[in-house]
Amino acid sequence: MISAAVTLDARAALPEAVLAGAGCLLLLMEAFLPATRRAFGAISILAAGGYMVLLERIPAARAFGGTLDGSIFAHVFGLFLGLAAVLTLLVARPYLERAVQGGLVASDGEFYPLLLWGAVGLSLMARGLDLLVIFLGLETFSLCFYILAAYFKRSEASSEAGLKYFLTGAFASSFTLFGIAFVFGKTGTTAIAGFADARVAADPLLLAGLVFLMSGFAFKVALAPFHAWAPDVYAGMPTPAVAFLSVAPKGAALVVLFRVLGGVFDGLPSSRLRAGLAAVAVLSMVIGNLVALAQRDIKRLLAYSGIAHMGYVAITLAVFGRDAFAAALVYLFAYALTNVGAFAAVAALYRDESKAHPVGLLAGMGTRAPLAAGVLALCMISLGGIPATAGFIGKFFVFKSAIEKDLLWLALVGVINSLVSLGYYLRVVYVLYMREPVEPEGPPPLAPESRLALLLCGLGVLAVGLFPGRLWQIAQAASRAVPHLGP
Amino acid sequence: MIAVPHLLSWLIFLPAAGAALLLLFPARAATEAKTAGVVVSLAVFVLSVGLWRYDPAIAAFQFGESVPWIPPLGITYTVGIDGISLLLVLLTTFLTPVALIFSLSHVKQNVRGFTAAFLLLETGMLGSLAALDLALFYVFWEVMLVPMYFIIGIWGGKRKIYAAVKFFLFTMAGSLLMFLAILYMAVQYHRATGDWSFSLEHLYPMTFPIATQTILFFAFAAAFLVKVPIFPLHTWLPDAHTEAPTAGSIILAGVLLKLGVYGYLRFALPFFPQAATRFAPWLAGLALIGIVYGSMVAYAQKDMKRLVAYSSVAHLGLVMLGIAALTSTSTSGAVLQSVNHGLSTGALFLLVGVLYERRHTREIAAYGGIAKIVPVTATLFLIATLSSIGLPGLNGFVGEFLILTGTFNAPGVPRWWAIVATSGMILSAVYLLTLVQRVFWTPLVHEENRTLPDIRTSEFLVCAALVLAMVAIGVAPNLFLDKIHGSVDTLLAFVRAKSAAPLEALR
Repeated sequence: MISAAVTLDARAALPEAVLAGAGCLLLLMEAFLPATRRAFGAISILAAGGYMVLLERIPAARAFGGTLDGSIFAHVFGLFLGLAAVLTLLVARPYLERAVQGGLVASDGEFYPLLLWGAVGLSLMARGLDLLVIFLGLETFSLCFYILAAYFKRSEASSEAGLKYFLTGAFASSFTLFGIAFVFGKTGTTAIAGFADARVAADPLLLAGLVFLMSGFAFKVALAPFHAWAPDVYAGMPTPAVAFLSVAPKGAALVVLFRVLGGVFDGLPSSRLRAGLAAVAVLSMVIGNLVALAQRDIKRLLAYSGIAHMGYVAITLAVFGRDAFAAALVYLFAYALTNVGAFAAVAALYRDESKAHPVGLLAGMGTRAPLAAGVLALCMISLGGIPATAGFIGKFFVFKSAIEKDLLWLALVGVINSLVSLGYYLRVVYVLYMREPVEPEGPPPLAPESRLALLLCGLGVLAVGLFPGRLWQIAQAASRAVPHLGP
Repeated sequence: MIAVPHLLSWLIFLPAAGAALLLLFPARAATEAKTAGVVVSLAVFVLSVGLWRYDPAIAAFQFGESVPWIPPLGITYTVGIDGISLLLVLLTTFLTPVALIFSLSHVKQNVRGFTAAFLLLETGMLGSLAALDLALFYVFWEVMLVPMYFIIGIWGGKRKIYAAVKFFLFTMAGSLLMFLAILYMAVQYHRATGDWSFSLEHLYPMTFPIATQTILFFAFAAAFLVKVPIFPLHTWLPDAHTEAPTAGSIILAGVLLKLGVYGYLRFALPFFPQAATRFAPWLAGLALIGIVYGSMVAYAQKDMKRLVAYSSVAHLGLVMLGIAALTSTSTSGAVLQSVNHGLSTGALFLLVGVLYERRHTREIAAYGGIAKIVPVTATLFLIATLSSIGLPGLNGFVGEFLILTGTFNAPGVPRWWAIVATSGMILSAVYLLTLVQRVFWTPLVHEENRTLPDIRTSEFLVCAALVLAMVAIGVAPNLFLDKIHGSVDTLLAFVRAKSAAPLEALR
């Protein structure tokens, strides 16, 4: 009996163990066999691939005393996380090599283990059915990314990003922990399924705990008013790390928000909470889009655009329910392809990593670097929600879910915001294709990995945009596997 | 005529395939890109002639195709055309090679991209005209925006960026409201039947309470009336037209504006008949303002292209008036006049482009008395002008006549609508003939105009093709009207039945 449970646990944790083990191995190799560094990217990609495959095969039963999800939802989330990791890793190698040559950092070896361990944390967060497991995942991820934010030791912006991310992140983590303590104090359990039965949502103490808890996760997603860290951190962090940071933790944190909301309210968020969530969504969309209009740095622009996009996804939180959750998953997949594509293009188009990334420097890239510029333009169009791209599909499902629950006004706010957002997305496209180059030097030569990543993202954006049917079915299947989301 | 299987799909996707193929060409292969673009667009035109087999006696959607596209939501790839879309499809396939051939000698910068954008645009236009599924239609409708944004923004004039962004945001603002309305309708259908569908076949019979209907109608109308453009939503048009390269202006005036008219007829009217009839007097009012105001502003222009652009506001006002009157005659006239305007304004833009390429100015004052120096250009210009002001024997006359008589005799429609609209015809004669006179017939004052070369053979050929089409419609209008009538009657009968009352009683 015991041994059966142990085997189950071991098998259930195997996917994360592969990632963590690969990270340890790489760290040892970095220390003792530094000459093998060139293979780090490939090994990490193998590990991420192994993680995705193994996750498909885990037992469906809940392992570790029911704290780790092994359902089809875990498979689907693994796909999302693995996809984001693989694309990021493809972008990372050529980028980091340039940074090492430019003297920004002594070695690119630690990058890979940190990224892999970060992914382990996110995987635990999304699969976790117990607040403590989730918190463990959150901290594992956060610690790795505090370091990654400050990865360029000789760049002031990077150090600043690391410090800011660490301070605000630690603050948010303590909020989360505080919230967990409240919830535990009231319900006597940290298992999400446990307080589904408590039905004490009206209890002020529990409500306070919930608000604390959710604030912490809203911080990770960069939802307004917990968004202020994002632009500075994005601007100073190495671009491939931002690519990952801008999608993967947002996915995991949203999953947690859905789980917690469902657990507490058993599928029916009270109207007051729903109003609060709608307000957060509106605030994020409005602040993100309006401030993005004024940005001159592409990474900051993408940071504010990310805040706005989390606002669109937060609409599904206010709507709540299975279809809303499935819509959020579709949105996250679409957003992952698009945003990683955009950052991959940014990584490929800017020569000097130690400086800022003004949009103006992209001038004339349409002819100088057709592939990277084309993908960046496509991603901008997708983020703007123009049909035949993934971004449109994401919005399609989110707005559909809102209209189904008679939240037409929320969809309308989203639509108006989409229009505003086109103002700055189009400006990037315009600079790429309609302005004369300002720099004598062209972009750095495109490495084969970057080319592959760009092509994958570009084709993915179009494929999801044109044929979203299968993705929607997968997301629906995944949403059915998550308990307490209502009918 | 040989029947091509899947004819509509070939028409829609051949240009896109051509565009994709072009991107594989080396960037410097300008001549090859031009040739490929012209060949593809001509092939599309030749194929599209097969649509003439359309049987007006049936007056239903023909050449239909339907395959599931996004099954979980019931979204299908359903296309088909009736008499209303037929001529507009042909106009599109006709004008695209015209515009591309014209740009052969004029576009120098990034030719490959230009040609690819044009072909992609053609796919969007043809797809919008053929789509019989709301989701499919919306995708094609929006897909048109991106290539047009590039065409104006990269190959346009001095204030191209401003014009491109304004064009994009104006049209997008309208479309997004329509997007919400489409979603809302699909959700309502789902609630009523338990199934998802976006196909017109399923959604057409839906009826909504009048309050809901009004909101949905305005959401749809916003998308289409911006595109038309109706006064006061027209302000993007002069900018876009003026700054766009000649080929872009031809397509903008020739086809894109017509998609607004088409969308109104295909979606806004049959979906929401009560709201549409209620709004009809307002629509007519805005159309009349457009006619008079557009004409007067056109008269005041110093730039030839802006003049033609404002004339479009006036002419499209007349078209929308025909639709607001809701009679068989006036609506058929509106459809035909859409085609006519595409031909005559296309030709005018083309000829203005010819002059501009030689003198690099569109200022009317920079010309004068050049009729003897460029006699062929002058003749063609005069013919296009006469077509535009509705000279009998040319196409414009037929369309305007039908709209005006249809409106004048429409039951329940005040007669002064037609009377005011007629003034638009007079005004158009005033400003267009004044333009011809000031450019071609006044004494020659600018010495540099003395050496102006006349129209080139390639330019002449495309222009002659347009003139031929104008004469054909002018001399044998029934050949074309026969195709339109049946479908218009079917549409109006449907609208009448759905609102369960005679239209005039609804006003």
